[in-house]
Amino acid sequence: MTTIPRPMALLAELTYRCPLQCPFCSNPLELARYRDELHTSVWQRVLGEASELGVAQVHFSGGEPLVRRDLVELVRTARERDLYSNLSTGATMATPEKLSQLRSAGLDALQISLPDSDSAANDWLTGASSFKQKRAAVAAARELDFPITLNVVLHRHNLDRLTEIIRLATDWQVDRLELAHTQYTGWAFRNRARLLPTRGQVERAEEVVAVAELKLAGRLQILHVLPDYFQEYPKACLNGWGSTFLTVAPDGVVLPCQTAREIPQLSFPTVHDQSLEQIWFNAPVFQQFRGCDWMPEPCRSCERREQDFGGCRCQAFLMTGDPAATDPVCQLSPDHHLIAQSKAEAAQSQEELAYRVMPTAQ
Amino acid sequence: MTNDSQKATQVKLARGVRYRWDGVREQHQLLYPEGLLVLNETGAAIAQLCDGRSTDEIKRKLANSFSDGQIENDIGEFLARLAQRGLVRHDDDP
Repeated sequence: MTTIPRPMALLAELTYRCPLQCPFCSNPLELARYRDELHTSVWQRVLGEASELGVAQVHFSGGEPLVRRDLVELVRTARERDLYSNLSTGATMATPEKLSQLRSAGLDALQISLPDSDSAANDWLTGASSFKQKRAAVAAARELDFPITLNVVLHRHNLDRLTEIIRLATDWQVDRLELAHTQYTGWAFRNRARLLPTRGQVERAEEVVAVAELKLAGRLQILHVLPDYFQEYPKACLNGWGSTFLTVAPDGVVLPCQTAREIPQLSFPTVHDQSLEQIWFNAPVFQQFRGCDWMPEPCRSCERREQDFGGCRCQAFLMTGDPAATDPVCQLSPDHHLIAQSKAEAAQSQEELAYRVMPTAQ
Repeated sequence: MTNDSQKATQVKLARGVRYRWDGVREQHQLLYPEGLLVLNETGAAIAQLCDGRSTDEIKRKLANSFSDGQIENDIGEFLARLAQRGLVRHDDDP
Protein backbone atom coordinates (compact mmCIF):
# COMPACT_ATOMS: atom_id res chain seq x y z
CA MET A 1 0.00 0.00 0.00
CA THR A 2 1.39 3.38 -0.97
CA THR A 3 1.51 6.23 1.52
CA ILE A 4 -1.88 7.71 2.34
CA PRO A 5 -1.94 11.39 1.35
CA ARG A 6 -3.22 13.91 3.87
CA PRO A 7 -6.54 15.64 3.14
CA MET A 8 -6.52 19.13 1.62
CA ALA A 9 -10.11 20.17 2.32
CA LEU A 10 -12.76 19.74 4.98
CA LEU A 11 -16.44 20.10 4.19
CA ALA A 12 -17.97 21.28 7.46
CA GLU A 13 -21.71 20.67 7.15
CA LEU A 14 -22.81 22.76 10.09
CA THR A 15 -26.51 22.00 9.81
CA TYR A 16 -29.05 20.53 7.42
CA ARG A 17 -31.60 23.14 8.42
CA CYS A 18 -32.39 25.51 5.58
CA PRO A 19 -35.08 28.09 4.84
CA LEU A 20 -35.11 26.95 1.18
CA GLN A 21 -36.50 23.73 -0.26
CA CYS A 22 -34.58 23.18 -3.49
CA PRO A 23 -35.56 19.84 -5.06
CA PHE A 24 -32.01 19.37 -6.45
CA CYS A 25 -30.40 19.47 -2.99
CA SER A 26 -27.80 16.79 -2.35
CA ASN A 27 -28.63 16.62 1.36
CA PRO A 28 -29.93 13.28 2.65
CA LEU A 29 -33.66 12.55 2.55
CA GLU A 30 -33.86 11.71 6.23
CA LEU A 31 -33.21 15.25 7.41
CA ALA A 32 -34.86 14.73 10.79
CA ARG A 33 -32.10 12.29 11.77
CA TYR A 34 -29.57 15.12 11.95
CA ARG A 35 -31.15 17.49 14.41
CA ASP A 36 -28.57 16.74 17.08
CA GLU A 37 -25.97 19.25 15.92
CA LEU A 38 -22.44 19.62 17.23
CA HIS A 39 -21.76 22.33 19.80
CA THR A 40 -19.53 25.28 19.01
CA SER A 41 -16.68 23.99 21.14
CA VAL A 42 -16.69 20.63 19.37
CA TRP A 43 -16.57 22.29 15.95
CA GLN A 44 -13.67 24.41 17.20
CA ARG A 45 -11.80 21.29 18.26
CA VAL A 46 -12.56 19.67 14.90
CA LEU A 47 -11.19 22.70 13.02
CA GLY A 48 -7.99 22.48 15.06
CA GLU A 49 -7.68 18.76 14.36
CA ALA A 50 -8.26 19.38 10.66
CA SER A 51 -5.50 21.97 10.54
CA GLU A 52 -3.06 19.62 12.29
CA LEU A 53 -4.00 16.85 9.89
CA GLY A 54 -2.98 19.01 6.92
CA VAL A 55 -6.31 20.46 5.81
CA ALA A 56 -5.72 23.79 4.06
CA GLN A 57 -9.29 24.78 3.25
CA VAL A 58 -12.55 24.53 5.09
CA HIS A 59 -15.88 24.83 3.30
CA PHE A 60 -18.66 25.82 5.68
CA SER A 61 -21.76 24.35 4.18
CA GLY A 62 -25.13 22.83 5.02
CA GLY A 63 -28.14 23.20 4.79
CA GLU A 64 -27.83 26.89 5.39
CA PRO A 65 -24.78 27.57 7.61
CA LEU A 66 -26.14 31.02 8.48
CA VAL A 67 -28.85 29.48 10.66
CA ARG A 68 -26.04 28.62 13.08
CA ARG A 69 -25.61 31.50 15.50
CA ASP A 70 -21.95 30.61 16.02
CA LEU A 71 -20.90 30.88 12.37
CA VAL A 72 -18.85 34.05 12.87
CA GLU A 73 -17.08 32.43 15.80
CA LEU A 74 -16.30 29.31 13.77
CA VAL A 75 -14.94 31.40 10.89
CA ARG A 76 -12.69 33.19 13.37
CA THR A 77 -11.42 29.85 14.69
CA ALA A 78 -10.70 28.68 11.15
CA ARG A 79 -8.65 31.82 10.54
CA GLU A 80 -6.76 31.35 13.81
CA ARG A 81 -5.99 27.81 12.72
CA ASP A 82 -4.64 29.16 9.43
CA LEU A 83 -7.38 27.57 7.35
CA TYR A 84 -8.66 29.20 4.17
CA SER A 85 -12.41 29.48 4.66
CA ASN A 86 -15.25 29.33 2.18
CA LEU A 87 -18.93 29.79 2.94
CA SER A 88 -21.58 28.11 0.78
CA THR A 89 -24.84 29.83 1.37
CA GLY A 90 -28.29 30.37 -0.07
CA ALA A 91 -27.75 33.95 1.11
CA THR A 92 -31.33 34.73 2.09
CA MET A 93 -30.06 35.29 5.65
CA ALA A 94 -26.88 37.09 4.57
CA THR A 95 -27.62 40.60 5.83
CA PRO A 96 -24.99 43.32 5.30
CA GLU A 97 -24.29 43.25 9.04
CA LYS A 98 -23.72 39.49 9.07
CA LEU A 99 -21.51 39.62 5.99
CA SER A 100 -19.47 42.41 7.52
CA GLN A 101 -18.96 40.36 10.69
CA LEU A 102 -17.89 37.37 8.63
CA ARG A 103 -15.43 39.54 6.69
CA SER A 104 -13.89 40.84 9.90
CA ALA A 105 -13.67 37.32 11.29
CA GLY A 106 -11.53 36.35 8.31
CA LEU A 107 -13.86 34.61 5.89
CA ASP A 108 -11.95 34.28 2.61
CA ALA A 109 -14.61 33.55 0.01
CA LEU A 110 -18.35 33.32 -0.57
CA GLN A 111 -20.23 30.88 -2.71
CA ILE A 112 -23.83 31.93 -3.24
CA SER A 113 -26.35 29.58 -4.77
CA LEU A 114 -28.77 30.93 -7.34
CA PRO A 115 -31.20 28.42 -8.82
CA ASP A 116 -32.24 30.62 -11.74
CA SER A 117 -31.75 34.05 -13.33
CA ASP A 118 -35.51 34.47 -13.67
CA SER A 119 -36.88 35.67 -10.39
CA ALA A 120 -40.18 33.75 -10.59
CA ALA A 121 -38.45 30.53 -11.66
CA ASN A 122 -35.90 31.00 -8.90
CA ASP A 123 -38.59 31.39 -6.26
CA TRP A 124 -40.47 28.38 -7.63
CA LEU A 125 -37.30 26.26 -7.41
CA THR A 126 -36.44 27.32 -3.87
CA GLY A 127 -40.04 26.92 -2.70
CA ALA A 128 -39.86 30.41 -1.20
CA SER A 129 -39.39 34.03 -2.13
CA SER A 130 -35.60 34.30 -2.28
CA PHE A 131 -34.44 36.02 -5.48
CA LYS A 132 -34.54 39.56 -4.09
CA GLN A 133 -32.65 38.56 -0.95
CA LYS A 134 -30.00 36.79 -3.00
CA ARG A 135 -29.53 39.84 -5.23
CA ALA A 136 -29.22 42.09 -2.20
CA ALA A 137 -26.71 39.74 -0.57
CA VAL A 138 -24.51 39.70 -3.67
CA ALA A 139 -24.56 43.50 -3.76
CA ALA A 140 -23.65 43.71 -0.07
CA ALA A 141 -20.86 41.16 -0.49
CA ARG A 142 -19.54 43.16 -3.45
CA GLU A 143 -19.41 46.27 -1.25
CA LEU A 144 -17.30 44.34 1.24
CA ASP A 145 -14.93 43.23 -1.54
CA PHE A 146 -15.66 39.53 -0.95
CA PRO A 147 -14.67 37.20 -3.77
CA ILE A 148 -18.00 35.80 -4.93
CA THR A 149 -18.76 32.61 -6.79
CA LEU A 150 -22.32 32.35 -8.02
CA ASN A 151 -23.33 28.71 -8.08
CA VAL A 152 -26.09 27.63 -10.43
CA VAL A 153 -27.15 24.00 -10.35
CA LEU A 154 -28.25 23.02 -13.85
CA HIS A 155 -31.17 20.80 -14.86
CA ARG A 156 -33.98 20.68 -17.38
CA HIS A 157 -35.85 23.65 -15.90
CA ASN A 158 -33.08 26.25 -16.19
CA LEU A 159 -30.69 24.99 -18.91
CA ASP A 160 -32.47 26.89 -21.66
CA ARG A 161 -31.86 30.15 -19.78
CA LEU A 162 -28.08 29.79 -19.67
CA THR A 163 -27.45 32.92 -21.72
CA GLU A 164 -29.55 34.94 -19.27
CA ILE A 165 -27.83 33.30 -16.31
CA ILE A 166 -24.40 34.26 -17.64
CA ARG A 167 -25.57 37.80 -18.35
CA LEU A 168 -26.88 38.10 -14.80
CA ALA A 169 -23.51 36.95 -13.43
CA THR A 170 -21.75 39.75 -15.32
CA ASP A 171 -24.42 42.30 -14.33
CA TRP A 172 -23.99 41.32 -10.69
CA GLN A 173 -20.20 41.56 -11.09
CA VAL A 174 -19.34 38.29 -9.44
CA ASP A 175 -15.83 36.85 -9.83
CA ARG A 176 -16.83 33.33 -10.79
CA LEU A 177 -19.83 31.53 -12.11
CA GLU A 178 -20.06 27.85 -11.36
CA LEU A 179 -22.44 26.08 -13.71
CA ALA A 180 -22.74 22.67 -12.19
CA HIS A 181 -25.06 20.04 -13.56
CA THR A 182 -27.10 18.37 -10.85
CA GLN A 183 -25.40 15.46 -9.10
CA TYR A 184 -28.08 12.87 -8.60
CA THR A 185 -27.83 12.00 -4.92
CA GLY A 186 -30.07 12.83 -1.96
CA TRP A 187 -33.12 14.90 -2.90
CA ALA A 188 -31.83 15.29 -6.43
CA PHE A 189 -31.88 11.51 -6.91
CA ARG A 190 -35.42 11.39 -5.68
CA ASN A 191 -36.34 14.06 -8.24
CA ARG A 192 -34.15 12.69 -11.00
CA ALA A 193 -36.96 11.95 -13.46
CA ARG A 194 -38.15 15.54 -13.09
CA LEU A 195 -34.69 17.14 -13.37
CA LEU A 196 -32.71 15.26 -16.01
CA PRO A 197 -32.26 17.39 -19.12
CA THR A 198 -32.35 16.21 -22.72
CA ARG A 199 -29.15 15.67 -24.71
CA GLY A 200 -30.18 18.59 -26.93
CA GLN A 201 -30.31 20.92 -23.93
CA VAL A 202 -26.92 19.71 -22.71
CA GLU A 203 -25.29 20.24 -26.11
CA ARG A 204 -26.76 23.71 -26.59
CA ALA A 205 -25.55 24.61 -23.11
CA GLU A 206 -22.01 23.57 -23.97
CA GLU A 207 -22.06 25.86 -26.99
CA VAL A 208 -23.39 28.78 -24.97
CA VAL A 209 -20.66 28.30 -22.34
CA ALA A 210 -17.89 27.99 -24.95
CA VAL A 211 -18.91 31.29 -26.57
CA ALA A 212 -19.25 33.05 -23.20
CA GLU A 213 -15.86 31.82 -22.00
CA LEU A 214 -14.16 33.43 -24.99
CA LYS A 215 -16.13 36.65 -24.76
CA LEU A 216 -15.76 37.09 -21.01
CA ALA A 217 -12.16 35.93 -20.54
CA GLY A 218 -10.52 38.08 -17.89
CA ARG A 219 -13.87 39.41 -16.65
CA LEU A 220 -15.77 36.39 -15.44
CA GLN A 221 -14.38 32.95 -14.74
CA ILE A 222 -16.80 30.21 -15.71
CA LEU A 223 -16.50 26.76 -14.18
CA HIS A 224 -18.63 24.32 -16.09
CA VAL A 225 -19.21 21.01 -14.32
CA LEU A 226 -20.39 18.63 -17.01
CA PRO A 227 -23.33 16.29 -16.50
CA ASP A 228 -21.86 12.84 -15.91
CA TYR A 229 -25.04 11.15 -17.16
CA PHE A 230 -24.13 12.45 -20.63
CA GLN A 231 -20.41 11.54 -20.57
CA GLU A 232 -18.65 8.37 -21.67
CA TYR A 233 -16.68 8.00 -18.47
CA PRO A 234 -17.51 8.83 -14.85
CA LYS A 235 -16.26 11.84 -12.94
CA ALA A 236 -13.17 11.48 -10.76
CA CYS A 237 -15.36 11.59 -7.69
CA LEU A 238 -13.57 13.20 -4.69
CA ASN A 239 -10.31 12.89 -6.62
CA GLY A 240 -10.40 9.36 -5.21
CA TRP A 241 -12.02 8.13 -1.99
CA GLY A 242 -10.09 9.18 1.12
CA SER A 243 -7.42 11.00 -0.86
CA THR A 244 -8.20 14.71 -0.69
CA PHE A 245 -11.50 15.48 1.03
CA LEU A 246 -13.35 14.67 4.20
CA THR A 247 -16.76 15.74 5.47
CA VAL A 248 -18.04 16.23 8.98
CA ALA A 249 -21.85 16.04 9.08
CA PRO A 250 -23.99 18.22 11.40
CA ASP A 251 -24.11 15.48 14.06
CA GLY A 252 -20.34 14.85 14.01
CA VAL A 253 -20.26 11.81 11.78
CA VAL A 254 -17.12 11.77 9.62
CA LEU A 255 -17.60 10.86 5.97
CA PRO A 256 -15.30 10.39 2.99
CA CYS A 257 -18.03 12.07 0.92
CA GLN A 258 -21.02 14.17 1.94
CA THR A 259 -23.53 11.73 0.48
CA ALA A 260 -21.81 8.47 1.51
CA ARG A 261 -24.16 8.13 4.44
CA GLU A 262 -26.85 6.94 2.10
CA ILE A 263 -24.90 3.70 1.67
CA PRO A 264 -26.26 1.38 4.38
CA GLN A 265 -23.43 -1.14 3.99
CA LEU A 266 -20.97 1.38 5.47
CA SER A 267 -20.52 2.42 9.09
CA PHE A 268 -19.03 5.75 10.02
CA PRO A 269 -16.97 7.02 12.95
CA THR A 270 -17.79 10.27 14.75
CA VAL A 271 -15.70 13.14 16.08
CA HIS A 272 -16.82 12.14 19.57
CA ASP A 273 -14.98 8.81 19.39
CA GLN A 274 -11.70 9.58 17.66
CA SER A 275 -9.57 12.40 16.31
CA LEU A 276 -9.79 13.31 12.64
CA GLU A 277 -6.22 12.06 12.23
CA GLN A 278 -7.10 8.59 13.61
CA ILE A 279 -10.21 8.47 11.46
CA TRP A 280 -8.48 9.57 8.26
CA PHE A 281 -5.67 7.04 8.50
CA ASN A 282 -7.35 4.11 10.28
CA ALA A 283 -11.14 4.08 10.01
CA PRO A 284 -12.20 1.08 7.88
CA VAL A 285 -14.68 3.20 5.93
CA PHE A 286 -11.90 5.50 4.73
CA GLN A 287 -9.81 2.49 3.70
CA GLN A 288 -12.68 0.73 1.99
CA PHE A 289 -12.48 2.40 -1.44
CA ARG A 290 -9.04 3.97 -1.13
CA GLY A 291 -6.66 3.32 -3.99
CA CYS A 292 -7.49 0.65 -6.58
CA ASP A 293 -7.36 -2.66 -4.69
CA TRP A 294 -11.12 -2.73 -3.99
CA MET A 295 -12.07 -2.37 -7.65
CA PRO A 296 -14.08 -4.94 -9.56
CA GLU A 297 -13.69 -5.45 -13.29
CA PRO A 298 -13.88 -3.62 -15.63
CA CYS A 299 -12.18 -0.97 -13.42
CA ARG A 300 -9.44 -3.18 -12.01
CA SER A 301 -7.64 -3.65 -15.31
CA CYS A 302 -8.76 -0.34 -16.87
CA GLU A 303 -6.10 2.13 -17.88
CA ARG A 304 -8.32 4.96 -16.60
CA ARG A 305 -8.55 3.53 -13.07
CA GLU A 306 -6.29 6.24 -11.62
CA GLN A 307 -7.99 8.98 -13.64
CA ASP A 308 -11.56 8.48 -12.50
CA PHE A 309 -11.13 5.99 -9.61
CA GLY A 310 -14.16 3.98 -10.71
CA GLY A 311 -16.42 7.05 -10.44
CA CYS A 312 -18.88 7.79 -7.66
CA ARG A 313 -19.53 5.18 -4.94
CA CYS A 314 -22.82 6.78 -3.93
CA GLN A 315 -24.07 6.76 -7.51
CA ALA A 316 -23.01 3.12 -7.90
CA PHE A 317 -24.97 2.23 -4.78
CA LEU A 318 -28.05 4.29 -5.64
CA MET A 319 -28.35 2.73 -9.07
CA THR A 320 -27.15 -0.85 -8.54
CA GLY A 321 -27.42 -1.45 -4.80
CA ASP A 322 -23.69 -2.26 -4.69
CA PRO A 323 -21.36 0.55 -3.57
CA ALA A 324 -18.33 -1.31 -5.00
CA ALA A 325 -19.76 -1.54 -8.50
CA THR A 326 -18.33 0.42 -11.40
CA ASP A 327 -20.17 3.74 -11.70
CA PRO A 328 -23.01 3.01 -14.18
CA VAL A 329 -22.20 6.30 -15.95
CA CYS A 330 -19.16 4.54 -17.44
CA GLN A 331 -19.87 3.11 -20.89
CA LEU A 332 -17.83 0.05 -19.85
CA SER A 333 -20.04 -0.65 -16.83
CA PRO A 334 -22.25 -3.76 -17.03
CA ASP A 335 -25.00 -1.55 -15.56
CA HIS A 336 -24.63 1.26 -18.10
CA HIS A 337 -28.11 0.59 -19.53
CA LEU A 338 -29.52 2.06 -16.30
CA ILE A 339 -28.43 5.51 -17.46
CA ALA A 340 -30.33 5.28 -20.73
CA GLN A 341 -33.30 3.88 -18.81
CA SER A 342 -33.32 6.81 -16.39
CA LYS A 343 -33.24 9.27 -19.30
CA ALA A 344 -36.15 7.48 -20.99
CA GLU A 345 -38.12 7.64 -17.74
CA ALA A 346 -37.31 11.33 -17.40
CA ALA A 347 -38.59 12.03 -20.91
CA GLN A 348 -41.94 10.46 -19.95
CA SER A 349 -42.23 11.88 -16.46
CA GLN A 350 -45.24 14.09 -15.71
CA GLU A 351 -44.68 14.17 -11.96
CA GLU A 352 -44.28 17.30 -9.87
CA LEU A 353 -40.99 18.18 -8.21
CA ALA A 354 -40.72 17.01 -4.61
CA TYR A 355 -39.52 19.87 -2.44
CA ARG A 356 -36.88 19.24 0.19
CA VAL A 357 -38.73 19.34 3.49
CA MET A 358 -37.58 19.25 7.06
CA PRO A 359 -40.18 17.42 9.12
CA THR A 360 -41.34 19.41 12.11
CA ALA A 361 -40.37 18.31 15.61
CA GLN A 362 -42.08 15.16 16.79
CA MET B 1 -1.07 47.90 -24.45
CA THR B 2 2.59 48.87 -24.81
CA ASN B 3 5.44 47.40 -22.88
CA ASP B 4 6.01 50.60 -20.97
CA SER B 5 2.50 50.95 -19.66
CA GLN B 6 2.53 47.28 -18.68
CA LYS B 7 5.54 47.91 -16.49
CA ALA B 8 3.73 50.68 -14.68
CA THR B 9 0.73 48.56 -13.78
CA GLN B 10 0.36 47.20 -10.31
CA VAL B 11 0.38 43.48 -9.70
CA LYS B 12 -1.91 42.17 -7.01
CA LEU B 13 -3.18 38.78 -5.97
CA ALA B 14 -6.78 38.53 -7.16
CA ARG B 15 -9.65 38.82 -4.70
CA GLY B 16 -9.77 35.77 -2.48
CA VAL B 17 -6.26 34.57 -3.32
CA ARG B 18 -3.99 34.11 -0.33
CA TYR B 19 -0.43 32.90 0.17
CA ARG B 20 0.05 30.32 2.93
CA TRP B 21 2.93 28.29 4.31
CA ASP B 22 1.74 24.74 4.98
CA GLY B 23 3.62 23.66 8.07
CA VAL B 24 2.36 20.07 7.93
CA ARG B 25 3.58 19.45 4.36
CA GLU B 26 6.35 22.07 4.55
CA GLN B 27 5.30 23.70 1.32
CA HIS B 28 4.29 27.09 -0.06
CA GLN B 29 0.70 27.36 -1.25
CA LEU B 30 -1.45 29.86 -3.05
CA LEU B 31 -5.03 29.34 -1.96
CA TYR B 32 -8.11 30.44 -3.86
CA PRO B 33 -11.83 29.65 -3.58
CA GLU B 34 -11.79 26.38 -5.52
CA GLY B 35 -8.43 24.96 -4.54
CA LEU B 36 -4.75 25.65 -4.23
CA LEU B 37 -1.51 25.82 -6.14
CA VAL B 38 1.72 24.48 -4.64
CA LEU B 39 4.58 26.93 -5.19
CA ASN B 40 8.34 26.46 -5.29
CA GLU B 41 10.70 28.88 -3.52
CA THR B 42 10.87 31.31 -6.44
CA GLY B 43 7.11 31.23 -6.98
CA ALA B 44 6.52 31.83 -3.29
CA ALA B 45 8.89 34.80 -3.25
CA ILE B 46 7.11 36.34 -6.24
CA ALA B 47 3.60 35.67 -4.94
CA GLN B 48 4.39 37.32 -1.63
CA LEU B 49 5.43 40.49 -3.46
CA CYS B 50 2.21 40.75 -5.46
CA ASP B 51 0.88 43.46 -3.17
CA GLY B 52 0.43 46.37 -5.54
CA ARG B 53 4.02 46.80 -6.73
CA SER B 54 4.88 46.90 -10.41
CA THR B 55 6.45 43.93 -12.17
CA ASP B 56 9.69 45.93 -12.41
CA GLU B 57 9.77 46.50 -8.69
CA ILE B 58 9.29 42.78 -8.09
CA LYS B 59 12.14 42.03 -10.51
CA ARG B 60 14.47 44.51 -8.82
CA LYS B 61 13.61 43.19 -5.39
CA LEU B 62 14.28 39.58 -6.33
CA ALA B 63 17.36 40.15 -8.50
CA ASN B 64 19.39 40.39 -5.31
CA SER B 65 17.90 37.30 -3.68
CA PHE B 66 18.33 35.00 -6.66
CA SER B 67 21.75 35.01 -8.33
CA ASP B 68 20.31 33.09 -11.27
CA GLY B 69 20.22 35.42 -14.29
CA GLN B 70 17.00 33.76 -15.44
CA ILE B 71 14.93 35.31 -12.69
CA GLU B 72 13.64 38.24 -14.78
CA ASN B 73 12.18 35.92 -17.39
CA ASP B 74 10.87 33.58 -14.74
CA ILE B 75 8.97 36.38 -13.04
CA GLY B 76 7.30 37.47 -16.27
CA GLU B 77 6.30 33.94 -17.21
CA PHE B 78 5.10 33.05 -13.73
CA LEU B 79 2.94 36.17 -13.44
CA ALA B 80 1.48 35.56 -16.90
CA ARG B 81 0.53 32.02 -15.90
CA LEU B 82 -1.06 33.23 -12.65
CA ALA B 83 -2.97 35.92 -14.55
CA GLN B 84 -4.27 33.36 -17.00
CA ARG B 85 -5.66 31.34 -14.11
CA GLY B 86 -7.22 34.47 -12.64
CA LEU B 87 -4.96 34.39 -9.58
CA VAL B 88 -3.29 37.79 -10.05
CA ARG B 89 -4.64 40.96 -11.55
CA HIS B 90 -2.85 43.82 -13.21
CA ASP B 91 -4.37 47.11 -12.18
CA ASP B 92 -3.83 50.26 -14.20
CA ASP B 93 -5.28 52.44 -11.49
CA PRO B 94 -2.82 53.77 -8.96
